[in-house]
Amino acid sequence: MADVKLAPGAEEVAMAVMISDMLKANIEKPEKLKDFNKLKARVYIQAKDAETEMTMVFDRGSLTVYGGKEGNPDISIITDAATLLDLANINIKYGMPWYFDETGMAVVKKLLKGELKLQGMLTHYFALNRLTKIMSLN
Amino acid sequence: MALTYGTDEWNQAYDALVKERLDSQSKPYVMGTPEWVKQYEELIQNDAEYKEAAKDWEGSVVIKILAKPDIGLDKDLYMFMDLWHGDCRFVKIVPAEVGEAGDFVITGEYDRWKAVMSKELDTIKGMMQGKLKLKGDLPTIVRAVKAASRLVDLSAITEPRFPDELDEAGTEDLRALLKRAEDELGI
Repeated sequence: MADVKLAPGAEEVAMAVMISDMLKANIEKPEKLKDFNKLKARVYIQAKDAETEMTMVFDRGSLTVYGGKEGNPDISIITDAATLLDLANINIKYGMPWYFDETGMAVVKKLLKGELKLQGMLTHYFALNRLTKIMSLN
Repeated sequence: MALTYGTDEWNQAYDALVKERLDSQSKPYVMGTPEWVKQYEELIQNDAEYKEAAKDWEGSVVIKILAKPDIGLDKDLYMFMDLWHGDCRFVKIVPAEVGEAGDFVITGEYDRWKAVMSKELDTIKGMMQGKLKLKGDLPTIVRAVKAASRLVDLSAITEPRFPDELDEAGTEDLRALLKRAEDELGI
């Protein structure tokens, strides 16, 4: 069983609870658990329109979720609440996030328009790929 | 003694109440009344965008509006949507025990739902802020996020009158209607 826990106070942040619940369900799948067990990264997420933020600290098989900004993130995802859920709908093809269908293209468009800001995309490319695969419901 | 939900008698009594209200009330209907729920049901049933977005959807969705006695909502209100692969079989106000047993129950204070139905609050944003709470399998609803958003958009298209905007007589009418629904239908 994967180790996913909420840091004190995170249970008060609805987005942190939602996303950690979603991840918990996802990593019950063996292929996602494999990525989860390899991922070491600090990920900051901000839903601008909902004025809420969280940090996920992945440490090869364990995850601690904080209800706010915690430390210096390797990857930052800053967008609106709906786009965050779009990210969860990205399809995985050939073991990689797939950006060439309708859902993927919509995410790419938002990235190009600046509606989705992904910091650490190049410096933590492999971690971001793993994160996308873990967060994807597909 | 209220009729038992799901029986022919209950369905007939519910339909009769809806018909009576549709015949006696004029649009815009008051949000949360049987006539408004009927209008909302018809909108969903005839919406091509919802049908397309929800073609894989299976399960009931319940909007639970928490009681606010000062505006006539003396009890929590459960609007039960029976949805299946893009079809909307029905939308009805149901007894609490039926509503709580829905596959997905989205709960919020009256003011939150008013904001949603006035397009001032996005449902997803509301859930991420904790203003609306979801009971049910989160990944399933996230996969169907477009369908869920469309359902909410349709509730705004009805442009209802809101209970807190009614005058005193209107509030008393609403209270009497909901009391009657409770006595006769257990809702």
